[in-house]
Amino acid sequence: MSETRTFLLELHCEEIPARFLKPLTEEFARAFDEWSFAHKLRNEASVVFSLFSPRKLAWRLILPGEGLFTSQSDQSETQVGPPQKMCVDADGQPTQTGLKFAEKWGVDFSSVRFEQPAGKKEPCAVVTITKKGRPTIELLAEALPKLIESLHVPKAMRWGNSDFEFVRPIRNVLCLFGNEVVDLTVDGVSSSNTTWGHRLHHMQHPEPIPIGCPEDYEAALAKAGVVVSFEQRRQCMEAQLHDLAKAVEGRVVMDAELLDTLAEIVEFPMIVRGEFPKNFLELPKEVLVTSLKEHQKSFCVEDEAGQLLAYFLSAANRPIDPGSAAEKLVVAGNEWVLKARLYDARFFFAEDRKAKLETRLDKLKNLTFQRDLGSYLEKTDRIMQIAEQSAPKVGLDAGHAKEAARLCKADLRSLMVGEFPELQGIMGGEYLRRESAPKVVWQAVKEHYRPVGAEDGIPFTQEGCLLSLADKLDTVMGCFAVGIIPSGSKDPLALRRAGQGVVRILWEQGWALDLMELVRIALGVVGPKATKPEFETLTALESFFKDRVSYQLEQVGYAGPVRRSSLPVGWSDLVGLKARCEALAAFSEDPRFESLAQSAKRIGNILKDESPEPAFDPSVLQQAEEIALATRLTSLEAASDHASRLAALADLAQPLEAFFTAVLVKCEDSALRTARLSLLHRLRLSFLHIADFSLWQ
Amino acid sequence: MHIQELILRLQRFWADRGCLIGQPYDIEKGAGTMNPLTFFGALGKKPWNVAYVEPSRRPADGRYGENPFRVYKHLQFQVILKPSPAKVQDLYIESLSALGIDLAKHDLRFEEDNWESPTLGAWGVGWQVVLDGMEISQFTYFQQVGGLDCRPVSAELTYGIERICMFLGGYDNIFDLTWGEVRTDDGIFPVTYRQVRQREEFELSAYSFEHADLNLHRTLFEAFEKEGWHLLKDLGHFRSAYEQALKMSHTFNVLDSRGAVSTTERPGVIKRVRDLASGCARAYLEHEEPETANAAKNANEKPSTKAEGAK
Repeated sequence: MSETRTFLLELHCEEIPARFLKPLTEEFARAFDEWSFAHKLRNEASVVFSLFSPRKLAWRLILPGEGLFTSQSDQSETQVGPPQKMCVDADGQPTQTGLKFAEKWGVDFSSVRFEQPAGKKEPCAVVTITKKGRPTIELLAEALPKLIESLHVPKAMRWGNSDFEFVRPIRNVLCLFGNEVVDLTVDGVSSSNTTWGHRLHHMQHPEPIPIGCPEDYEAALAKAGVVVSFEQRRQCMEAQLHDLAKAVEGRVVMDAELLDTLAEIVEFPMIVRGEFPKNFLELPKEVLVTSLKEHQKSFCVEDEAGQLLAYFLSAANRPIDPGSAAEKLVVAGNEWVLKARLYDARFFFAEDRKAKLETRLDKLKNLTFQRDLGSYLEKTDRIMQIAEQSAPKVGLDAGHAKEAARLCKADLRSLMVGEFPELQGIMGGEYLRRESAPKVVWQAVKEHYRPVGAEDGIPFTQEGCLLSLADKLDTVMGCFAVGIIPSGSKDPLALRRAGQGVVRILWEQGWALDLMELVRIALGVVGPKATKPEFETLTALESFFKDRVSYQLEQVGYAGPVRRSSLPVGWSDLVGLKARCEALAAFSEDPRFESLAQSAKRIGNILKDESPEPAFDPSVLQQAEEIALATRLTSLEAASDHASRLAALADLAQPLEAFFTAVLVKCEDSALRTARLSLLHRLRLSFLHIADFSLWQ
Repeated sequence: MHIQELILRLQRFWADRGCLIGQPYDIEKGAGTMNPLTFFGALGKKPWNVAYVEPSRRPADGRYGENPFRVYKHLQFQVILKPSPAKVQDLYIESLSALGIDLAKHDLRFEEDNWESPTLGAWGVGWQVVLDGMEISQFTYFQQVGGLDCRPVSAELTYGIERICMFLGGYDNIFDLTWGEVRTDDGIFPVTYRQVRQREEFELSAYSFEHADLNLHRTLFEAFEKEGWHLLKDLGHFRSAYEQALKMSHTFNVLDSRGAVSTTERPGVIKRVRDLASGCARAYLEHEEPETANAAKNANEKPSTKAEGAK
């Protein structure tokens, strides 16, 4: 086996947008792995390791056994030529054709053999030639520029005089195979064994940094102020956030997404803490948290009770010594900017409250929800109807539901939501609270967009849940009714997310309200806008919601067999479905379950081409096993809830086994046969209250 | 640092690095990019480095001179470097040093911020330059201007003059900035931004939010458009036609700040400005560099997968 060497490639660029760093390094890593395995340059199924920072995309293979062979191994190839009779004459001497064939493959005629290859009718001239494996360093030099060029760059740019396109200008290429430079050029930039550190580092050390071998890479960069591992930067910043918050007796208002972003936009992990004037704490917490996050990529700090403190935590892209001039300036600068931002937020908050929220309703007329479905004012009207009609079904006050629905979209026309769209709903609720609206109304408005994503919870209040349902149902039904139906990766209006929200709310609230009943209420309301026939819409909606319900089962942890066998029995009554799944999941752990499931499948097979009457005369039954089974059936059918039904089912496992062992169902005696088939049919009907066991696998 | 000192230093710095020092263009506009020195300069093959101050009007940002951070009109310092130099970021950083910003004591980041001007049919990619958490400049590699590919690519640097001055001096109110000093026989009199600009802010805000005659502006918009197309189509005059496009753009901004353009009409109105501006861009190129214009035409006719962002 050939000797291996370590490998490193680094593209040093101008600052690459944070959101592209990970996808780009990962895409290249996949392409590189594929290429190196296809060329048999590596032993094991290890993957190339990716590193990145704002100015660097890097990949390396440095662990033992991970490296690339120094060259491809030699490969022998067999070449088939013309038939033997054309290559040698009657005297056994080579003909012109024969000599030419040998010449073509660079061998003496004596090395030509005559064999009959598969698929040929007669012996032909054959030579085996050895292709010398090429040195890996050459292969790398040829392949890497192509791999780089073929990267999928979503927002590619050109720069300078060149037509080359990439995510940002490439300014340096470092490429090492062991301690040798791989000679390659990308858009006119030739590779070397040097790179650049942090900008502060270049200012003091204008020379490029030599990297002796791939193993030295990370340490050399760390010395030059760049931590090139994303994970390391993230961990380090997370620890600093907690420490700095703790030092002022607070805790960080954590936000994993923001932490990821910070770790992507710096080359060196450093968090600083600043303060803002206490009087800004009058602003709603959500406004402060959002303003700090969106405008300044900063974290808030809260006390144990969840009240914000007048501190913030921001990232700096450089090392900062405590007490240094840099610390003072960086903190002061961040404080200055934040103050300006909060001043703006306070201005919006004050302006918005100069008029009551409902005065903005009229302006919803000019805000289009969707072309065929009209303005947000029209949407508001529909949400009101859906909420009003659904409220009594879950025991809520229709008046409050209607009022919350009337006001829920008004904040879309507030300055604050104009500035921070993610505060929609929250601001409406806050403004209503300050206008002394009833608590059930402002709370419902405030939380009616929830759940915002898979991580978010459903609204805390029942009224909030109802309003959220009404809004999401209108969105989904409305879009389906005008032919906007998600397919594949196309779901521009995030209907799947809205549909999932509907299912989650019903599931978690445990309201005894059939999903399809809600669908029909909402369809009735959006009906006048529909451009598609109702049956078409209804069919599409059924399959859409069935998928959402199945996904919900998966999300809460029900295994495939539970989902597959319980859904066909009924999916739109979520309370019933939940009870059945719980019972079924518990029962599937029971030692008797396997036997019962087998028997249920057997029943399914026996009844496949039969259509027995449910009623039968038990006195016809003869054998002890079938009589016992009939008795069990009576108690099974008497069971009124899933638990007792399952208990009765479990008790059925052994008698069923005994039945199948002793009784031949399809016997000669037709009266007996009919009774037996009916008995099995009734058993199956009872099973179907719980699940279709024939789909259990 | 005084406003005028900042401008002088930036002009000196960029003049020393091979830029022409241009002047603001005497028509209302929303950004320095709209100055013909940039709009036309970024087109075609000829090398072009230019730097200038541009007063930029954003009617919707008017706050009657009462908000300490937002104003109807602010000053941009604009630099165009064509083709974009390999060390353009280093040059920019040097310019900060020339303003007295010692980067050894500050935190500097280049954060993604892509620029697009739908009225000019122009877009580019780049960053906002963030110093200690504050955006002090926009940095853009132009990809298209007037709907035409930029080859070579220009780098555009835009410094927000008031912001940088406020930041450097730690001011909490834009109107407290010092514009410069007046020296007379009687002594030295510092002049503030308030003295020079606050009344103007008040009146211009009042004008665009309250007094501007909307019907007149709608009529003007139509008239500028008609005039522009007449100049461009009938006479082939792209410079005077471009002025009409600028006037359309400002008229639109006034209407927009009053909420007089509905969300549904908006894209259509913007397109009317863009169509005229793009027409001017093509005419300019045909006039200045016919071969480049032809090549661009041919490239546009061939459907290119790369241009669709397929890469």
